[in-house]
Parts: sequence; C-alpha cells; structure tokens
Amino acid sequence: MQTSSGQLVMLVAINCLLLIVGAMISGGTFLSLFNMQSMASQLPELALLAIGVMLAMCAGNGGIDLSGIALANLSGVLSAVIVSSFLSSADSEMAFSVSFIVVAVAIGLIGGTINGLLIAKLNITPILCTLGTQMAFMGLAVVVSGGKAVTVGSPDLLSRIGNDLFLAVPINFLIFAVAAIVIAAVLRFTPYGFWLMMTGTNPKAAVYAGFPRTGVIVSTYAISGTLSGIAGMIIAARNVNVKFDYGSSYLLIAILIVVMAGVKPEGGYGRVVCVVLSAIALQLMSSLLNFGGLSNFVRDFAWGLLLLTFLAVGRYDVVDFLTPMRRQPNPSASIPRTPKPNN
Amino acid sequence: MKAISKKLMIGGVAVATLLAGTAGTLMAQQKPVIATVVKISGIPWFDRMNTGVEAYQKANPDVVATQSGPATADAAQQLQIIQDLIAKGVNALAVVPMDPAVIEGTLKRAMDRGIVVVTHEADNQKNTQADVEAFDNSDYGKALNVRLAECMGNKGKWTTFVGSLGSRTHMQWVGAGEANAKTHPDMQLVDPNNESFDDANGTYEKAKEILRKHPDIKGFQTSAGNDVLGVGRAIDEAGLSGKVCLVGTGLPNPSADLLESGAITAIGFWDPQKAGMAMNSLAKLLLAKKEITNGMDLGVEGYNKVTVKKGAGDGLLVIGNGMVLADKATYKQHLF
Repeated sequence: MQTSSGQLVMLVAINCLLLIVGAMISGGTFLSLFNMQSMASQLPELALLAIGVMLAMCAGNGGIDLSGIALANLSGVLSAVIVSSFLSSADSEMAFSVSFIVVAVAIGLIGGTINGLLIAKLNITPILCTLGTQMAFMGLAVVVSGGKAVTVGSPDLLSRIGNDLFLAVPINFLIFAVAAIVIAAVLRFTPYGFWLMMTGTNPKAAVYAGFPRTGVIVSTYAISGTLSGIAGMIIAARNVNVKFDYGSSYLLIAILIVVMAGVKPEGGYGRVVCVVLSAIALQLMSSLLNFGGLSNFVRDFAWGLLLLTFLAVGRYDVVDFLTPMRRQPNPSASIPRTPKPNN
Repeated sequence: MKAISKKLMIGGVAVATLLAGTAGTLMAQQKPVIATVVKISGIPWFDRMNTGVEAYQKANPDVVATQSGPATADAAQQLQIIQDLIAKGVNALAVVPMDPAVIEGTLKRAMDRGIVVVTHEADNQKNTQADVEAFDNSDYGKALNVRLAECMGNKGKWTTFVGSLGSRTHMQWVGAGEANAKTHPDMQLVDPNNESFDDANGTYEKAKEILRKHPDIKGFQTSAGNDVLGVGRAIDEAGLSGKVCLVGTGLPNPSADLLESGAITAIGFWDPQKAGMAMNSLAKLLLAKKEITNGMDLGVEGYNKVTVKKGAGDGLLVIGNGMVLADKATYKQHLF
C-alpha cells in the first residue's frame, strides 16, 4: 500500500508543520496546554461526521452521507424536546443527561438506518437519498423546535462532557477517540470491515461471493447515523442550546476532510487514522489562521490548496519521489509494485 | 518506504514536542487585546463596523483592537473563532452574535477565565457583562412612525412590514409605531405586519398587491434592511413617488437612488461604525474595572449619555441614542 503510507506520512508532516508555524506566529501560545485543549474540544463534532462520510464512501457505488450534520442537529433538538417533556434538567440532572444522551444516539441510529434501508432496499443513489433525508431531518428539526434554539441547559453529566477534562484531555475528545478506535478496530479485525471494503471495491463480485450486501450497507449508514447522534450530543453538551441550522458549513468540510485523508471516492479504501489526522490538520490550520488574525477567506483558500496537494500526493508517490535513493539499492525490502487500478 | 515514513514521523513528532516544551517560556503581549467578532466578514455592514474598530485603535494606542468574523454565515464558524481567540488569550471579546443561544456556553467559559465579554444586537444574551444596543427599540419604532405621520399629514391608510413575525426587534418597532399612530385618529392601519423575509423582490411583489388592493394607501413603515428597496421600487414604478410615504430601516448607499427619486421618504438605521467603537470603549472600561453607570459618556457619538439597565442575565444592558433618521437632504452625510 504505497499510497496509503505516503498519505499517512504527508498528514503527519503537515500536522507537525502547522504546529511549528503556529508556534512561530503566536510566540508559543499556540502550543500552550490550554490551546491544545481548546482545539481538541472543537474537533470531535466535525471529525465524527467525517468518519461517517468515510464509511459511506468506502461502501462504494457512489456512497456518501450528506445528512450528517442535519441528523446531528435533529438528534440534539428532538432529544431535548422529548426528554424535557418528562424530565426537568434542573431537578433530576443525572437522569436528564443520561436520557438525553441515549435518546440522541438512538435518533442518530434510527436516522442512519433509514438512510441505509432506502439505499440498500430501494436502490436509491446515496447522494440523492441522503440529500433527501438531509432536508427531511432538517425540516423535522425546524418543525419540532419551531425554528428556534432549544435549551438543553447544563445538567451535571452533560456539562461535564462539554466542559471538563479527564487527565488534562477534554472529555468530548475522549469520547471521540474511543469511537474512532472502535470503528478502526471493527474495520480491521471483523468480517464486517472486510465485507465493507470488498463490497466497495466491486459490488457485483461481492454479491456473487455471498457477502450480505444489504446488511453491510444498512449497517454502514446506521453507524454513520450513530456517529451523527454522538456529534449532536457533544454539540448540545458544549453549547447549552441546540438549533436546526447549526454547522451548515460542516457538510462540505467533512467531505473535504475525507478526500484529504485519501479515502477513495469510488469506494473500497479508507483508513480511520488518516481521517482523524486530516481532521486535526484542518483544525490546526483554522485555529492557526485565527491566531494569526488572518481573514477567514484565507482559510478557505488554504483548505482548497491543501486538498489539491493531497490529490496530487494520492496520484503520484511524492514521498518516494523525494527520496529516490531509497528505491534502487534496496530491492529486497520493496514489495513488488502492482499497477494501481483507477489511480 | 516503511522505514522512511516511520523515521519522518518520529522526527516530526520529536521536533513538535521540543517546540512545545520551549514555547511556554515566551512571553505574551503586554497591551490588553480587545477582539471584536462579527457575524460574518466581508459584507458592507461589518466592513463599516471594522472602520470603527480601526478608528478606535487609532484613538487608543494603549490597547490592541482587532476585528474578525467567519467567511460563511454559520453560527458554528463564529463559535470556533471565539474559542480560538479565548485560547489565544485575548483580554476582552466584543461579539455581535450570529445566534446568541449557540455561543452562551462558550461565552460563559470565557468569563470564567476572566475575559471581559461585551455583546451587541443581543439583548437576550445571558452570558455577557454588557450588551450594547444602539437605541431603545420602542423609541426607534416611534421615531419612524412620527416621521411617517408627518409625511402623511397625520391622516390616511398605512401598513407595516416586518422581516418575519418571529423577529423580536421588528415586532417591537412596528408595535411602537402603531402606538404612536393611535394618537392620530385619522390614521388607519390596514393589513399590518406583512412578512418580507428581508427579500427585496418578495417585498416588491407584496407591496404591488397592497397598492392594488388599497389604491388610496398613504404610508408604509418597514423593518428589515431590504424592505425599503422592495416597497420603494413598487411605489416608484406605480408613479406614486412623493405621493405615498415610505419610512423604514435601510442603509444609505443602497437606498440612494430611491431617496433621490422621492420613493423613500426617510430611512432609519444605526451606524455600525459607532456601535463597534462603543463596544470597544465599553470593553476598555470593563478591563479597567470601572463601573458602568446610568448617563455615562462612552466617548462615541450617539453613546454620550447611555441608559443602563439590567440585562437578560447577570450583565448590563447599555442603551445608546445612536439612531439616525436620514432623508433626501441628509443621507449623503452617512454614505456606507
């Protein structure tokens, strides 16, 4: 996997570079513990959505999940409305928090399953299906909340998830890290991961090989939906209020993260660690520009540039190109290169 | 390949950690930093506010005043900027919230860290030390209606436009307008509270309908920034310029043509430049731990004698007299 490790190296290098540049412009504050924590707590909502998009893309057949942020908002809004109808966040703090989290994640799971069923059973193209559900989720959130922000408040457990640290690491970041590790492990060690990548590579062959295609697709979108539910819960925990139109810019950024992470848009390949690193790179860059006091339009430009760089890296093996002497004298170490399809 | 990537990675991480270690020793800036965060950057309203922040910086070299804002109109993007500024270690935040509810949690965290928080256009913001409003909303609505009544000769049919029925300030403005119109028994309100959704084209269509339905209508009072343009165009095309009165919120530059033709009688607005200066001035006072008192002078035109009330949360609500009513004769003094 030449490209994949090349991508990983590039991502790590970019992250280090951004840290160094940040330290230089800010005279050190960029690397302060507090800023690290602040950036770490900003990251999860977007990175969770990006992992969801990655899974959908890996499923192949033009797989994508456009409904992520809309579903995250719906989870937060609907859960807040449902739970506060029978519990008060001020009186029974713990019960409120726990039910809020459970309901939010469950709504995410249900929403994702609906996506999966529509795509697998009715054979709707994912981009159209999730575009439709995105609008439906957002519309439902508007109806339920009356278009206004819904107050969740800061009951004990939720406020801790949103604000507190565990061993100097923000708790919401830990939740995200656990989710990412679980998904990475599932993709690597379970038959599901193998089925997903193989279905993405060649759906027809996967069906003839006896893979449960429907099951794989439904569960993929269900996982993606669950991640949205978790993101919605984290948004609520941090912001005290939830609103239907929060993060309207996240959709495209999540896709950008995924493409930058080298996930193949045609399906069959993607690594969680790359997605996480790529999300971190975007976070570092956007915080960096805010530190430097640069216009946010520069940020869009820089992201575009970064994306093009990564597409170039994916196409040509830049790391090998930069270190040509490693290739010739060491033939035994190199794996025989196979011509790369579609790449 | 594998070996190289490992080495690169380890090397990179080592360099980064080394930097992180040494970085803490460097000192931060000496002057207090007041960071203004606007709803969205690159639009005329907030470009105008930026001129105020720059002017404030020039007049107060003992502080650092900057302005930033998201490139897209998304509360989440504004939230990220505020979080990064808190982490950067600014001393005061002057925020014009995209959505006050979304940033409550973050502003609370900022205040817990000892950062001074001032807001604008958010009289329902709970976590702020002071919210600056350019004027009292009912005074503004009344002033618009007084101007309208004067133009109408205190008699005839009139109607109102609001951005949406859910827009609190707009409803306050037309409510105060109606209250004022009640003092003139010959003024008759017809089909009130038309929703414009701040869309000049939609407002234009609606205004044409109203002109057909009530050919004898004499006056319009509008609320959202683009309403005067839509209604003004309808009046202009119907050849009623100068015969039908139109008073509403609007900005001088876009309204210039219609003001000249007489389709718009007068526009009301507040100057974001002055509002930006007032926020910064208030932030500086709070940084110096000075008390904000009723009748205080913030040293900014329109904020020379502010009214101080209790705000939505623990903070204060500071109301200036920054209202500007401009007509054909005077709008050129405020071109932006």
